[in-house]
Amino acid sequence: MSRRAPPGARTAAAASSGSTSSSALAAINTEDMCPVCKTIRYLNKDMEFLINPECYHSMCSNCVNRLFNDGPNQCPYAGCHRTLRRKGFRSAFFGDLAVEREVDIRRRVAAVFNQVEDDFETLRDYNNYLQMVEDLTFDLVSGTDAQRRAAEATLQQWEAEHKADIERNRKAGKEADEQSRRRLAAEREAARQRRFEALREAEEEKRERARSREEELDSLAQGEAGAAGGAQRVQLKKRGQAAASRAVEAAVKSDVAAADVGRLSIRGLKEKKKAPPPDGPYDPFGGLDFMPSRYKLRPGLTHPGVEKYKVDPAHITGGYNFDEYAARAMFEAFAGLGVFIEDEKEVGIGLSAGEVATMSAGIAAVGDKMELD
Amino acid sequence: MAVSPLVAPTSDAFKPSRPISSPFKRQTSAVPSSNGNGTPRYPPAARSAPGDGAAMTLDPIEQLNEDEKRKYVKGKKLGEGTYANVYLGHVRHDPSTLVAIKKIKVQQQYQDGMAPDAVRELKYLRELQHPNIISLLSVFSSKDQNLNLVLEYLPLGDLEMLIRDVDRVRYGAGDIKAWMGMLTRAVWFCHDNFVLHRDIKPNNLLIAADGEVKLADFGLARSFADPGRRMTANVITRWYRPPELLFGARHYGGAVDIWSVGMVFAELIIRAPFLAGNTEVEQIALICKQIGTPTEDNWPGVTQLREYTVPSEVVPVWGKEAYMGRFGAVGADGVDLLVRTVALDPKKRITAREMLEHRWWRTDPKPTRKEDLPRKSGGEEKMGADLKRRNGILDDETNNRGAKVARKLDFGQAK
Repeated sequence: MSRRAPPGARTAAAASSGSTSSSALAAINTEDMCPVCKTIRYLNKDMEFLINPECYHSMCSNCVNRLFNDGPNQCPYAGCHRTLRRKGFRSAFFGDLAVEREVDIRRRVAAVFNQVEDDFETLRDYNNYLQMVEDLTFDLVSGTDAQRRAAEATLQQWEAEHKADIERNRKAGKEADEQSRRRLAAEREAARQRRFEALREAEEEKRERARSREEELDSLAQGEAGAAGGAQRVQLKKRGQAAASRAVEAAVKSDVAAADVGRLSIRGLKEKKKAPPPDGPYDPFGGLDFMPSRYKLRPGLTHPGVEKYKVDPAHITGGYNFDEYAARAMFEAFAGLGVFIEDEKEVGIGLSAGEVATMSAGIAAVGDKMELD
Repeated sequence: MAVSPLVAPTSDAFKPSRPISSPFKRQTSAVPSSNGNGTPRYPPAARSAPGDGAAMTLDPIEQLNEDEKRKYVKGKKLGEGTYANVYLGHVRHDPSTLVAIKKIKVQQQYQDGMAPDAVRELKYLRELQHPNIISLLSVFSSKDQNLNLVLEYLPLGDLEMLIRDVDRVRYGAGDIKAWMGMLTRAVWFCHDNFVLHRDIKPNNLLIAADGEVKLADFGLARSFADPGRRMTANVITRWYRPPELLFGARHYGGAVDIWSVGMVFAELIIRAPFLAGNTEVEQIALICKQIGTPTEDNWPGVTQLREYTVPSEVVPVWGKEAYMGRFGAVGADGVDLLVRTVALDPKKRITAREMLEHRWWRTDPKPTRKEDLPRKSGGEEKMGADLKRRNGILDDETNNRGAKVARKLDFGQAK
């Protein structure tokens, strides 16, 4: 985007253009003096600066009380003709009021354009949407007057038109936030537990070491040299055991945590998904039917040439199926009837009409030959 | 879903007596085209420069082949077999549409034509279009008269991998029912179009990206024979071979495939090959022991079959109850279906259509939806796949999605 200036330049541009974000949007505490009543912090230690998101002009709380207690009034800044109310004033979160304003705008835009990725068909659509929102935000934050008015209109129109969607997304977002908050809390708790465990372990080990050292000294004092080595070994073994059990515990704990976390996030995913459409009853045939439409297969269809095989033991024991033969013979007799080359053009593996014609001819030819066979 | 109305006529076109002139023909050999004989080889000039300039010198069939060939781009080799190499490829104008290109090797004993298994595969896949049968997208010949079959790309391995991976893949009755449903539909479709597959086994059941099971490898397929015409008994991988083939029957029907389906069914339940004999004699012995000894009582005429030999100890055919212990996981109805598929006498064996009409499909649990079926587990393969980074596979795309989303500035949390 050519329109987008680098961050530094952008703030400057924001400060210089437009009426609300005029050069008066300076940092508050540079001089600790109320720009309206000129009181300085030296005289009033509890002086608090307030702003009104209408125009982001800061003034001390005394001024706010003085000017706006009796109802709406004009902003005391020279050249600013906004009508402000007592209710709109609040203290700024950021020292830089340009940032404060941008954050407010972004929050407002985000509340309206709160679609999530799952709402979009493709990733590209989602990215385009994000781009659109960012353009609109930029117009609102640091566009020219005309751009800002246009963006404002768009925003309001969208909000009016998609109230239900926005509300639904807001709820969904809240739930997701809640879940991630819970998950974070669970993780933090797990981490705390782990730290605590580790500390306790270390403490115990230290105590153990001191005790065994004492024992060792005792045994040395009693002149039993062999026992000392044994104690050492015992202690080492114990340490190994402790480490192993600790590892197992940690594994179990992390498993539990992981399972918990996994379950939470999976649930989040599932809720977003649409419920799969209820499938109908299972069709073992997969919706196909090969019942011939042009003729009827009766059991016991036969042919004089086949009769001798019907009594042939080799055919009977081997499982040769004469009904299958009859079905095939009937199928072949009727194959090609009701097939029109024009209709067949589009099916198959990219056969052209010519090929289909050749093929049908081929089939016909083979069929003839078979009859001779 | 395109259901092919055409079924290959039953001519044994690939018998050595009839020369197969050239694989340039895109049609199956069952369809003799006007210039079926003596399609000339590439003139040397055309081979060195098969581009547009040379197009003028190609005859229409060669031009057709050249056009077809140019539609696909061959990529890296996925596997090598004795009979063919398989390459990963994609459609030229759309690199995200992956295909598998099976390049049939020229075999020593079939110098003059095409290997019969290649012809079988081509002939039947060309005609059968069904969601549970691997689809043949195109056929072309490459430079040295090698036949290339363009098949759909099925990235998730085969059913055997899932059955064997006992540690990492878990599945239940609903999953078995879904897989069996897809397999039975495929077999039913073949049989209703008069094609015998003759090599049904778990590693010929490939799994598509969406979980759909597809019957593949039609290298042994043939159409139903006419009465009096003998077929070879030496088909179907031994563990899945029915008793009539083991006894050397030369006239058989769709029942041979049903036995294989039953064996796959049993294997899905116990997660090991049900009857795994090392030799044919041992296979017969296993069938006699586990299912029952074929006798004149339960299979009239069986003793007259050419290679009828059974162990002297006669085991009566086991009833349904005997199966309940080992195969009870699929419920009483499932066991009933299994017992019917492994009937010794092929005449008494259930048909594919009857299988699909069985009540098991309608009882609980419902077959799992294909998207929810268990898949090949991650682990090393997954990591390998990540390193190789193929596109077009769903998994990778979802994992990297976060990185592709534009960052959203959110000041809502600031205060």
